[in-house]
Amino acid sequence: MLKKIIIGCMALIFGLTMLGTALALEKGNQRKGKYSYRKVYKSCMARGASETDRPILNPDAKTRAQWTRIFEKANYADFGCEEEWAALSQEEVSDIYGYLWEYAADSPTPAKCK
Amino acid sequence: MGPLRRLCYLLLLIGTLLPGPWYSTAWATPSEEDSIAPGRALAQQAISARAAWSTSDHSKHPALQQTFTSGAQITAACLSCHSEAEEQFKKTIHWKWIGYTDEKNKRLGKAGDSLNNFCISTNNMQDKSCNACHPGWQGKDAGVNCLSCHGSKKINWSEAFEDYNAFAASDDPEETDLALEIQTDILDAVQAIGLPTRGNCGECHFKGGGGDGVKHGDLDTSLIKPGKALDVHMGGDGQNFNCTRCHTTVRHHVAGRIYSKPAFEQRTSLLQDDLTPKITCESCHGDKPHAPGEKVNDHTDKVACQSCHIPTFARELPTKMSWDWSQAGRLKEGQKYKEEGPLGRETYLSIKGVMHWEKNVQPEYAWFNGVLKTLTVKDRIDPSSVVAVSAPVGDPQDPNARIFPFKVHRGKQPYDKVHKTLLAPLLSGPQGYWTTLDWNEALTQGMQAMDVPFSGEFDFAATSYVLPTTHMVAPKENALACTQCHVRNGSRLVGIPGVFMPGRDRNPLVDTFGWIAVLGALAGVFLHGAGRIFSNGRKHE
Repeated sequence: MLKKIIIGCMALIFGLTMLGTALALEKGNQRKGKYSYRKVYKSCMARGASETDRPILNPDAKTRAQWTRIFEKANYADFGCEEEWAALSQEEVSDIYGYLWEYAADSPTPAKCK
Repeated sequence: MGPLRRLCYLLLLIGTLLPGPWYSTAWATPSEEDSIAPGRALAQQAISARAAWSTSDHSKHPALQQTFTSGAQITAACLSCHSEAEEQFKKTIHWKWIGYTDEKNKRLGKAGDSLNNFCISTNNMQDKSCNACHPGWQGKDAGVNCLSCHGSKKINWSEAFEDYNAFAASDDPEETDLALEIQTDILDAVQAIGLPTRGNCGECHFKGGGGDGVKHGDLDTSLIKPGKALDVHMGGDGQNFNCTRCHTTVRHHVAGRIYSKPAFEQRTSLLQDDLTPKITCESCHGDKPHAPGEKVNDHTDKVACQSCHIPTFARELPTKMSWDWSQAGRLKEGQKYKEEGPLGRETYLSIKGVMHWEKNVQPEYAWFNGVLKTLTVKDRIDPSSVVAVSAPVGDPQDPNARIFPFKVHRGKQPYDKVHKTLLAPLLSGPQGYWTTLDWNEALTQGMQAMDVPFSGEFDFAATSYVLPTTHMVAPKENALACTQCHVRNGSRLVGIPGVFMPGRDRNPLVDTFGWIAVLGALAGVFLHGAGRIFSNGRKHE
């Protein structure tokens, strides 16, 4: 019985993890993501935590696979402005991921945040 | 002879042995330095009315207070008042990217047959990446974007309109809010109108060749907010000139060199013609700018002002000095890659090859009458030696020629082994070299766009390209000292022909006669002085 419970729990955890990962990796509205991404740094500069309102990383700073790994791990340390990143909704994060992935270094149209 | 007289003779003798004031390296005494040289006084009068003023506040014009959904609407709003502006502008090289067609039917201009050794060509404007610098809404295909030059606020127009139109059509309230924000940004930019600033011109001219300081050594983004030490004319703590202060404009034609055609044909000053284009130094400073009697005034018929007053270029940001396309195409683990050098600039890119950057670069000097001989994609070359894609024209006998400073950009670029012409590869786009890394494909596509035959056989030729150095004029205390040119070894003007330069050059016959004269004079003074001393001494006894 205990064995079944343990296996059931593990399956549930695995399932939730996969669901979470799938949700986290969903590429949202890339057009909205561009503006959400810019807003992060505008807010960051407004509170004095950044010298510029321009994002630190351009979409073409990484390949699509690299962006996917970052958002899979939900590790946003490279982006700076931790407070603003923590305040983003899951939808906004997905939108930003969509934007960065769309214009990554190995995409057909690599882009900088002009 | 009294003791006083004897002392005078003795002092005279000593005086002949000591360096006199005429040997001093300083040009002027402190009191002379404190006074303003005629050339500066003249220029200061020319700019005495400094404050810019306008009779119009564009934010109040009804035509500029509508919802804009396209660039064409903005142009129409501008033209509703400035009715002749578009017609004027479309006749200029800034719009056409063709300066003129020469007697051999070669079209000189970016959109024509001209080449360089940076990104080489726009392929008849088929390379769409070049259009970012064309002052139209979509290259030449749509109307003039007046705000390229007259807009004081920077905005990515194509992105703003595309996003605005997408968000405005959405039912999502968040997207509607974003549409309103974008429209506010568009209106802010549309209403911020003025005369062209350094930022407007610099958006293309500081980034010529594909990036900051790539093409010109004396034009880069350090000139957007320069100090006087970088440029006495543009420095915020200097005269704070905009580009159009010297590049004066008539009916949207901006004064300046157009490929082979010189920037000016007559050295006219404002004293001679108060409506003369202010494109030359002489326009404001006159042709004898230094204090009367100063030797440097005698140089102005042979040496350009820039040669002494721009000791180095790229003084704050690095500039690209060479570009070897033959090394492009390398991969790391099957991927394109790039490497950065010590100056923070890319020194290798798979898509571009090897590049070399330098800072604070000493110019190279040549005789120059304002004409540059430039190659086109139709000209035959000799690839066995360095091919001059552009070279200064002028010689010592030419009254319009001066010794002038240049940045010389060296490179290796593709040429047709059969036709012996330089080639213009297509770089951007799906079939461009930057995507495919396939030279054959890129050259075939590029030459088709140019409507010039390509044999299919190519190699790389060593090339050079000169750019006149005329910005980044240093404060007078940083101008060259005489000894940087008038010196036997290490003269900046080593190799400059057709002019005898004391210090740099020697003529054995002149030297021999000179030394004989000097030694003879010394001997005469000694003998005369000694004779007087001894004869007077005996008489006294």
